[in-house]
Amino acid sequence: MMNLIRRVAYFLRHRRAEADLAEELEFHEAMVSREMEQDGADPVAARALGRRAMGNRTLAKEDARAVWIWPWLDSVFQDLSYGLRSLWREPGFTLVAVLALSLGIGLNTSLFTLFNALALRPWPVRDPHRVVTVFAIAKNPPKGFDAAHGFGPVEQRYLTDHSKTMAGLVLTRGEGGLHLDAAPKTRVDYTTGNYFSLLGVDMERGRGFLPEEDRPESPSAVVVLSHSIWQNRYGGDPSIIGRRLQLDEIPFTVVGVAPEGFSGTSPELTEIWLPMASAILLHPNDRWARDFLNNADSCCAQMAGRLAPGFTREQARAELSVLHADFLRQNRETGNGVLLAGTPMLQQPHRETRQIYAILGLAFGGVMMVLLLACANVGNLLLARAAARAREIGVRLSLGAGRWRVVRQLLTESMALAFIAAALGLALAWYLPAVLFQSMVGEVSFHLRPDTTVLAFSVALAAFSCIVFGLAPALHATRGSFADALRKQRVGAGRLRGLLLTVQVTLSVILLAGAGLLVRGIQRAQKLDPGFAIEGVATVSFDFPISAYGGARMNAFFSGVEQGLRELPGAPKFGWTLIEPLGSGRRMAGTHLPGEDEKHSRPILANASSGGYFDVLRIPILAGRNFEAADRDRKVVLINQAFADRYFQGQSPIGKNIYFSDPYQIVGVVGNASVWGLEPVEPCFFTPVSFGSGPRLMVAQTPANIAAITALAKNLDKRVHLRVTPLRDNFDRWLSSSRLGAAVAGMLGILALVLASIGISGVFAYVVQQRTKEIGIRIALGARPANVISVVVGSAGRSLAAGLTLGLAGALAISRLLGQYLYGLSPLDPVTYTTVIAVLALAGLAATYLPARRAVKLNPVQALHYE
Amino acid sequence: MERKSPELLPGTLDLLILRVLARETMHGYGVAQRLKIISDDVLEVGESSLYPALQRLLLNGWVKAEWGASENNRRARFYTITAAGRKQLNAEREEFHRVITAIQKVLETA
Repeated sequence: MMNLIRRVAYFLRHRRAEADLAEELEFHEAMVSREMEQDGADPVAARALGRRAMGNRTLAKEDARAVWIWPWLDSVFQDLSYGLRSLWREPGFTLVAVLALSLGIGLNTSLFTLFNALALRPWPVRDPHRVVTVFAIAKNPPKGFDAAHGFGPVEQRYLTDHSKTMAGLVLTRGEGGLHLDAAPKTRVDYTTGNYFSLLGVDMERGRGFLPEEDRPESPSAVVVLSHSIWQNRYGGDPSIIGRRLQLDEIPFTVVGVAPEGFSGTSPELTEIWLPMASAILLHPNDRWARDFLNNADSCCAQMAGRLAPGFTREQARAELSVLHADFLRQNRETGNGVLLAGTPMLQQPHRETRQIYAILGLAFGGVMMVLLLACANVGNLLLARAAARAREIGVRLSLGAGRWRVVRQLLTESMALAFIAAALGLALAWYLPAVLFQSMVGEVSFHLRPDTTVLAFSVALAAFSCIVFGLAPALHATRGSFADALRKQRVGAGRLRGLLLTVQVTLSVILLAGAGLLVRGIQRAQKLDPGFAIEGVATVSFDFPISAYGGARMNAFFSGVEQGLRELPGAPKFGWTLIEPLGSGRRMAGTHLPGEDEKHSRPILANASSGGYFDVLRIPILAGRNFEAADRDRKVVLINQAFADRYFQGQSPIGKNIYFSDPYQIVGVVGNASVWGLEPVEPCFFTPVSFGSGPRLMVAQTPANIAAITALAKNLDKRVHLRVTPLRDNFDRWLSSSRLGAAVAGMLGILALVLASIGISGVFAYVVQQRTKEIGIRIALGARPANVISVVVGSAGRSLAAGLTLGLAGALAISRLLGQYLYGLSPLDPVTYTTVIAVLALAGLAATYLPARRAVKLNPVQALHYE
Repeated sequence: MERKSPELLPGTLDLLILRVLARETMHGYGVAQRLKIISDDVLEVGESSLYPALQRLLLNGWVKAEWGASENNRRARFYTITAAGRKQLNAEREEFHRVITAIQKVLETA
């Protein structure tokens, strides 16, 4: 053992060691030639001898060095080839072990690949570790809002001009859907003119933006395409640079194509980049763009920067905090400093970060348990094998092999097993995260393939699992003497197997219970009453070039649609809403109540709608009245039941005011409806919708209705695209990620069950094999099958019972963490636990059946001849 | 002309080095000299077997090495026997005796 440590130490400092050796040999030679001169040899002869010694010296060096390496390498190869041969000889064992381990390692590696992409991998830019994301900290953020927020372009210019610690700062701001040529919904990032040059992105074609293309006073209509959009929509056109494209019907010129593998610096995939200032060109009728670019109090674009050479992150933070405070003071505001973070998403201070970490933690717990289960299983199989190989090992020990040497040999075999499994696991991780994430979230900018970090992780995991499943059996197998081995008596084997069995049962109860709860939660959610009509209702969204539409034209368009709908034969019910039910949008307004001042304002979900919205969705008006046409210009508001319950306990809210910027009078209370998501309903309110905000239409989804609406809209403006989304689709999409979670959990559960069954059946089979003689005698003496079976089962019964108890306790404790993913199902749901125990009991019975049958069918004569 | 040193039994050189070092700490060249003198010039050990043997002893933890100044004030590596080395020396010595006695017996009586 010490030997190994010295060897490792030698390798770690082999340069030094070799220099030592060289110097030592030189000294030796010098001494030899000095001796010769003293003996009277003439200098020429001495030198000749010296030259001859030279060859000697090289040889000596080689040989001396080899002492450290060869015997060791040689023995490793020997162990390895021996181990591989013995794995090859037992393909059944090897297959099961490799399969179980590669699933365990593969699942862990897959999850780590995801974690690596979200939390560890920096942006794919030049020298990424010098790039930081920058956030301003708000002094008194409203409760529920992030304290960390972004910056506006005016402040970005101020900070860039004054900062010495940053080589430069960039801003990015995403925009959802622009029409690129005819295709709607192209994901755009507005960036400052220095974006590509500061981050150091090597363009595939053309160039990045120039600073002069991003001046608010003279914006340039230029665009950079992503590699994928260049390939997919323009067929990789080699002459793309200089080509004119239509963005929202405004001509833009392509100046560059981003390299493959650079899909932007926001979590969503970016398809095209535009200079920040070109927002003015795309929103000519909208004050927003000009205000955003020119007003000092505009904010909330993502800022990132590159540290100037020689400055640390802390120095930059200190300087930027001072500059930020100066900037705010000039605008008579205050803040709370700035915060610098890394570029990976989970290093940035977002509110979702904690939740994502919680989910990742749960998932890691699950897959780690599967790995441990697999290890326990393989450990058990190895024990059984060690029993079969007891004689071989006993002979080797008694022939003088050191115990450590035999343990090492057995561990090398385990290591070979673990590394084969790790290779297969990596293959799994190459596909699983990318495929799962794509089906769950869609295209993202993260790199979801294993990289060297992931490789290191899986190697560490293989080594770890090898120790977990291989060490105890190896130590165990080499215990005791040759005589013991020949007598086939292994003290303590039963205890170790029992322990492993307990661990397996415990883990599978926990995994199965977790999976069962998630699956039942989903079933429950599907039957959930959302509190509004879903079947047969659709949302119609109108996409038109934003560039062509200001508030006034929007108003005219939607008034025209409404007018047309009123005149339709049959007068279908319809309603307007700013935010579609169960869409991805969420809008909060800082709100305070009568008798409170602005400091008490809290974020409350806020939608804007027309009275028809509640009719179409069949949300009841519980008190007061619905919106009427004239409300469009009044400051009135409808609140939901949850709002009334929480903030007006017992009193009638009708006629009272709530405040968000202005006072709004409550005119009615509507029923609770899960329009924001399938969680318990939170307080929310509705204000009258204005057509200028570009609302969506809610209507019964009949072919006649849809055709009529399409005709109406196209009649008013040919450029309009209509999108019809059945609410059922939104509902299903809302559940899809949970459903996927439940499916993954279910798969883990089934995997756990299979592994545990193999383990249980292995233990029983071993008991039968070990006690064949005893069983044979019992049968010969007239024991009934029941007695025989009780001998077999009884020996493992205690471990089973212990496993079930521990597993149940663990599951009860852990299930509480799942609370928010259960859609109101109790984490103590009795159905789940009863089912899990029943399933495990059944699996246990099934696993016992074969060995028990073999025991009962034993022919006493054969049994006594056994061995 | 260089005389060929007689072939030693495997492991014997390690034993001899340990024995020499058991008396005092020495550098590699010193060990070779000492072996040569004591054995009346019979055992002349070349670098190509001396230094691998010393590395082997280091690897096994039977000696340790330290840099120091030689008698003519050059930097030289000095080897010292460790406790484990002494133990090994005693064990090997007995074993060697046994084997040599056996060999002699065979040579004389067979």
